[in-house]
Amino acid sequence: MPHLAEIREIIDESPDTRTFRLMFKDAGTAESFDFKAGQFAEYSAFGDGESTFCIASSPTRKDLIECSFKVYGKVTQSLQRLNVGDTIGIRGPYGNWFPLDELKGKNLLFIAGGIGLAPVRCVIENVLDKREDYKNVSIVYGARSVSDLIYKQEIREWKSRTDVSVIVTVDPGGETPGWDGEVGFVPAVIEKSAPTSENTAVILCGPPVMIKFTMPVLTNLGFKDEDVYTTLENRMKCGLGKCGRCNIGNVYVCKDGPVFTYAQIKKLPQEF
Amino acid sequence: MSFKMEEKIISKDDLLKLCGDVIAKGHTLLAPGIAEYEQVKDVSQIRLDSSALPTKTSYKSYVFPKAEPILYYKRSKSDVQLIDVDVNGKKIVVLGAKPCDTNSINILKHLFNWDYEDEFFNLRQKHFVIIGLMCSSFDEYCFCTSVGSSPVSEEGSDLFLIPINEDKFALRIITEKGKEFIEPYSEFLKDGDEAKSNAVLESIKKPEVAFDSKQVHEWLGDNFENPKWEGIGNVCLSCAQCAFVCPVCHCFDLVDEDYSYSEGRRMKNWDGCQFGHFTLHASGHNPRDIQSKRYRQRVNHKFRYYVDKFGEILCTGCGRCSRGCPVSIDIKEIVSNCKD
Amino acid sequence: MDELRNYARELLEKEEVAAVIGYQQVTEKRTKPIVITDPAETSRLVFNEYCLNNLAVYLTKARIRSLMRTKDKTMKLAIVAKPCDVHSIVALIQENQIHRNDVHIISFNCHGVVKDFGCDFNGDNLAAKCIKCETHKPLYFDKIFGEEKQTPKAGDASLEKINELEKLNSKERFEFFKSEFDKCIKCYACRAVCPLCYCQRCITDKAIPRWIESSSHQRGNFSWNIVRAFHLSGRCTGCGECDRACPMDIPLSLINRRMAMEVKDLFSFVSGRSLETPTLVGNFDKKDSDEIFM
Ligand SMILES: Cc1cc2nc3c(=O)[nH]c(=O)nc-3n(C[C@H](O)[C@H](O)[C@H](O)COP(=O)(O)OP(=O)(O)OC[C@H]3O[C@@H](n4cnc5c(N)ncnc54)[C@H](O)[C@@H]3O)c2cc1C
Ligand code: SF4
Ligand code: SF4
Ligand code: SF4
Ligand code: SF4
Ligand code: SF4
Ligand code: FES
Repeated sequence: MPHLAEIREIIDESPDTRTFRLMFKDAGTAESFDFKAGQFAEYSAFGDGESTFCIASSPTRKDLIECSFKVYGKVTQSLQRLNVGDTIGIRGPYGNWFPLDELKGKNLLFIAGGIGLAPVRCVIENVLDKREDYKNVSIVYGARSVSDLIYKQEIREWKSRTDVSVIVTVDPGGETPGWDGEVGFVPAVIEKSAPTSENTAVILCGPPVMIKFTMPVLTNLGFKDEDVYTTLENRMKCGLGKCGRCNIGNVYVCKDGPVFTYAQIKKLPQEF
Repeated sequence: MSFKMEEKIISKDDLLKLCGDVIAKGHTLLAPGIAEYEQVKDVSQIRLDSSALPTKTSYKSYVFPKAEPILYYKRSKSDVQLIDVDVNGKKIVVLGAKPCDTNSINILKHLFNWDYEDEFFNLRQKHFVIIGLMCSSFDEYCFCTSVGSSPVSEEGSDLFLIPINEDKFALRIITEKGKEFIEPYSEFLKDGDEAKSNAVLESIKKPEVAFDSKQVHEWLGDNFENPKWEGIGNVCLSCAQCAFVCPVCHCFDLVDEDYSYSEGRRMKNWDGCQFGHFTLHASGHNPRDIQSKRYRQRVNHKFRYYVDKFGEILCTGCGRCSRGCPVSIDIKEIVSNCKD
Repeated sequence: MDELRNYARELLEKEEVAAVIGYQQVTEKRTKPIVITDPAETSRLVFNEYCLNNLAVYLTKARIRSLMRTKDKTMKLAIVAKPCDVHSIVALIQENQIHRNDVHIISFNCHGVVKDFGCDFNGDNLAAKCIKCETHKPLYFDKIFGEEKQTPKAGDASLEKINELEKLNSKERFEFFKSEFDKCIKCYACRAVCPLCYCQRCITDKAIPRWIESSSHQRGNFSWNIVRAFHLSGRCTGCGECDRACPMDIPLSLINRRMAMEVKDLFSFVSGRSLETPTLVGNFDKKDSDEIFM
């Protein structure tokens, strides 16, 4: 049974991406709904079905649950038609999470592309709320064009802090006249900024092509596969390890994932 | 769990009387027909033929229905109301289940109970009584003996029948559940002779072992990429006949369907990994984009992944998928070929 | 048999075709499809009364089509086809799914096939389509083998069943089909084996909007089976593959055959019989009867 939640606020992040700020209808659920950074949930638009999105807000800020989604098909189009005050369903939290406790005392490098910032944002905010536990924090975020950048408000906030380094980039051709960030693909930007791999963990989320071209760059910079954390997004339905579509070999992404280190991913059958 | 098997004898007439009583009590009585396990309305329908081949489909749909509502919703202006589904926990008695069917629910139990427990499955399963019947013939598709079972396996049965002669069966009480079920009918039972019915079981011809499942498991691990998959992918037509008739395939889809402007239900429907859109992402990316990858998933899931996860092969060797495949793809042959 | 094998081997060796789609023997009374690209494998090809499959279904499959294109040229596909399977190929050509020059049809003088694997070949076990077959010699081919033989005599049980259903009133008929469709499990084997169900995205897979409920309950089944029958009316060539494939033994070809009879009566059209006459739907004339839509 999904929990019911009310849409409190809608933020248009980009022409095709939307964020919902959600409040559980039942106060008990709001209290007991406990999750960790990296977990996901199943959100229902009753009448059209369920869709899988990560929980984009940080567990350290529990008042409102947030999710951001790109409009693709049946369910996401249906969600897009909803207004503030409408009701949706939430099942979860499901899956594993980023091992933030283990990463204490390390430098953190966040790399995200496009909608991939959604799962990363949750971790970033979690880390920023416990800033003293971690050493240097840097963020590299890229999107196809300026209008495709999501979380512009949050990015501004991060940039205004002195204890975080933020690089935002858009693909060549995606810049606008007033654009003050970088221009270039994420892997190239990382190569240029050459972050240290010393005592550093990477949290990497984005489209498969970006991951494919970023990995060699990171390897060249000395990052080890087991220090790179990323998420896999297989088609999901149940989130409970039953419906059978999210598996990669004997790994159920909905249970054993979505967070994997690159070392783990390399060991999986290459079918994702 | 260590229930001590009891050996009894029951005459065919008494067995039919027992069935009549089950029906009279309003329970569901299932027995193998031709295409499927049919609901018995009248005991004259009952054949109890140990030499019949497996029905085209199993009785899986009685624990895991082909399409079932899991919740109802009602929408008003901006509010939604959810209504629970009442799972009907009616007693279901399967009479004359094939040994390649009897263990299917036990195999499925792992999946439906790891981590999250599926209450729909569990409730139905609790009310199931399985009366197995020894199997006395096989065809070219049967391979129960290659997956650790056999035509005389009592595994999964609550009660097990062995034809002794034209009108008598040895009846073995295998589980506590079986004992509870048969208790009211003890007047029909006489003490049996275990040695005698064992002799019958031994005399049964069994399918030859076609492959060593441990070797298959190993080979699959080393041969995720292998040209053999491509050959199959060229011929297989991507339907789900094989998954839907299989007693242990369990994939499903969740969809909402409205039946009025403001009301509807969420359905849990059978689905299968051979369909192209099963794993299709909204972005258009598909991890198993071609049929060879999908068939590879089928074999791997059954003979490797499920074994790794739950310690059991996801296949009872019934041969249904092959018997029914429109292009005669034979899983026994394919798995036997899973070697260098 | 040697003639067929040699011929197929030569086609492959001379690179006239990219692949041969044919039958191989599995057991004495069963064959199954095989797609051959290696000339050596042509020794497995057979043709006999157990060649039930309609291989035309493979002509539109992307995997098989991709075999046609090599680096420097495009080659044909050779297909072993019974005269009735040729009807399906004709229908595919007419619906622009494949070009006549892209297929090399190897056919036979046919005296019928069994209704199911494992049966002996005789009048009692003749496939329903063979009982009513009028084309024991292929209408189109690039190569033909086999001598003409007499088809065993048999009664037309499927026509009897249709006539029986005709006698029922519409409510009773509806009940009959409803109880049959109830059994459907939506495995889509009927669609998978049908050469004319080639749509890249079948209407049942479309979710926006969802025309046909994907659940296999009464309503979902009814709409699926009826939509399929309508979409095939005037196109179904009567190969009977859906009937054979259905694990629930739903008599799908009864409907398709009834539809075809209607189309023949109203429009004097039989699908897949001629490359010259246009398709039924493509040639819809306002003057034509609209009775079928009622
Ligand atoms: C762990 C995880 C986290 C994710 N996080 C995010 C996130 O934060 N933000 C984000 O934007 N995306 C995220 N995604 C991706 C997101 O789940 C999909 O983009 C989204 O579900 C698309 O839904 P849709 O309804 O628009 O797509 P559709 O493709 O229309 O699918 C909707 C439903 O329609 C049905 N359907 C569609 N096509 C067919 C068909 N051919 N046959 C039968 N049924 C069909 C299915 O029931 C399907 O579920 C995540 C995915 C995963 C696995
Ligand atoms: S193996 Fe046979 S039944 Fe299974 S999907 Fe392929 S064609 Fe269909
Ligand atoms: S995979 Fe085939 S043989 Fe094995 S249990 Fe399923 S239907 Fe039977
Ligand atoms: S074989 Fe395919 S359909 Fe069957 S349970 Fe495994 S993944 Fe699901
Ligand atoms: S329908 Fe005609 S052509 Fe087709 S198999 Fe039967 S006899 Fe041969
Ligand atoms: S083959 Fe039969 S059961 Fe399967 S979808 Fe078609 S009609 Fe339904
Ligand atoms: S989403 Fe259903 S098994 Fe993973």
